[in-house]
Amino acid sequence: MFALLLAALLLFPGQSQGLLEYLDGPVGQVVRLPLEAVSSIDQGISSMWHHYVSLQQVADENRRLKQEMDWLRGENNQLREAAAATQRLTSLLQFKEQASPSMVAAQVIGRDSTNRYKSVILNKGESDGIRKDMGVVTPAGVVGRVVKTTGATAVVLLLTDPNNAIAGLIQRTRDEGIVEGVPQARARLKYIPMLSAVKEGDRVVTSGLVGGFPRGLAIGTITTIDREEGALFQTAELVLEVDVNRVEEVLVIQAVEGPPTEPTARSDGGAKP
Amino acid sequence: MKKIAAYAGLVLLLVPVQTTLLPHVAIWDIKPDLGLVTAALIGVLVSELDGLLVGLAIGWILSLYSAGDLWLNLVTTAGAGLFAGLLAKQVAEITPTIVSIGLFVLSLVGGVLAAFSMKHATMTDTWWMVQFVVLPQACFDAAVGAALFWVLEQRLSLPRLGMLDRFS
Repeated sequence: MFALLLAALLLFPGQSQGLLEYLDGPVGQVVRLPLEAVSSIDQGISSMWHHYVSLQQVADENRRLKQEMDWLRGENNQLREAAAATQRLTSLLQFKEQASPSMVAAQVIGRDSTNRYKSVILNKGESDGIRKDMGVVTPAGVVGRVVKTTGATAVVLLLTDPNNAIAGLIQRTRDEGIVEGVPQARARLKYIPMLSAVKEGDRVVTSGLVGGFPRGLAIGTITTIDREEGALFQTAELVLEVDVNRVEEVLVIQAVEGPPTEPTARSDGGAKP
Repeated sequence: MKKIAAYAGLVLLLVPVQTTLLPHVAIWDIKPDLGLVTAALIGVLVSELDGLLVGLAIGWILSLYSAGDLWLNLVTTAGAGLFAGLLAKQVAEITPTIVSIGLFVLSLVGGVLAAFSMKHATMTDTWWMVQFVVLPQACFDAAVGAALFWVLEQRLSLPRLGMLDRFS
């Protein structure tokens, strides 16, 4: 049968070609259906493979890109931090150049080991020339004073500690008083004369009368004034210029208008001399 | 010798933990006094003499990094170690609850002593400090001490090694 068909095709090529051409249409139609079905399944599988199953590479790439993004985000944060630190240090340096040549920059490395005192620990100590009772400032204003030192560290009693007392001066009226900390992380100016015309919003600066600080360093701004009946002095609440709880770098004033403080043995005294 | 080295390591480790790490986990600016807790736990778990000596060492080291007076740190920390050890001797079974109550009392007494020793604070300031610093810290110390005691008890079977030996 097969040999006969082959012989017929070879003997009558024109007729056989016409027959085949005639059959093309219906056969093509018949074949198209499974072909399309298979093709559709293949495309479906292929599509599914590429979109859902074969995503390992995409997942890897995604993971890599996410890691890269995290890394860049971290680097961005570090750069922001570095920029902020540079800005702070630049202002410290400018302030140091303007204010006094005998200042030493230090970094805050810790807080008081107890909750009872408001103090910070600096990474500079006696070996860097820091001594007890030296004033500590930032370009914004007064931070506190050194109360203890070791060879490599110093403890600074902050302005907000009740045991701290610094001589202050109301800039507008020129009245003097004592700035003391209050436990609620604020400060108050005590012993303002009753006749003083002090008012809210007046700025308080260091008077320079007591050692540690030169005259004119910003301490804070008066918010409320307490005038008690029959009292000898007025007392004023202050908002400090420096947020002492967030300070990171400071300058320790080693000498104020005169020879440097005499070196002493390691101090181990308390908050109040 | 081994014990002294361990105590020395512990004391040295306390300094960075207390001054640098704990301020980051402080609640309302109050952090636990790990020095007091450690001295008290040593007093309870080892002996009152160990508590006293380690307390003295901790008090001295931590006072270098505090604006407070040396004597106050020595008295409060060493006192906590000594009294915790002495009190533990009077208790048949020491549980985290007992430890927390003891630490609360010791921390409260030490804090009140410190608050009243502030030379320039007014009575209002002192009362504010007792209310908002001393009392929360005593609670914090009690909780941390009880947690540490529970962990040590679970992990190291310390009652068997320490306390029961002492009673036998």
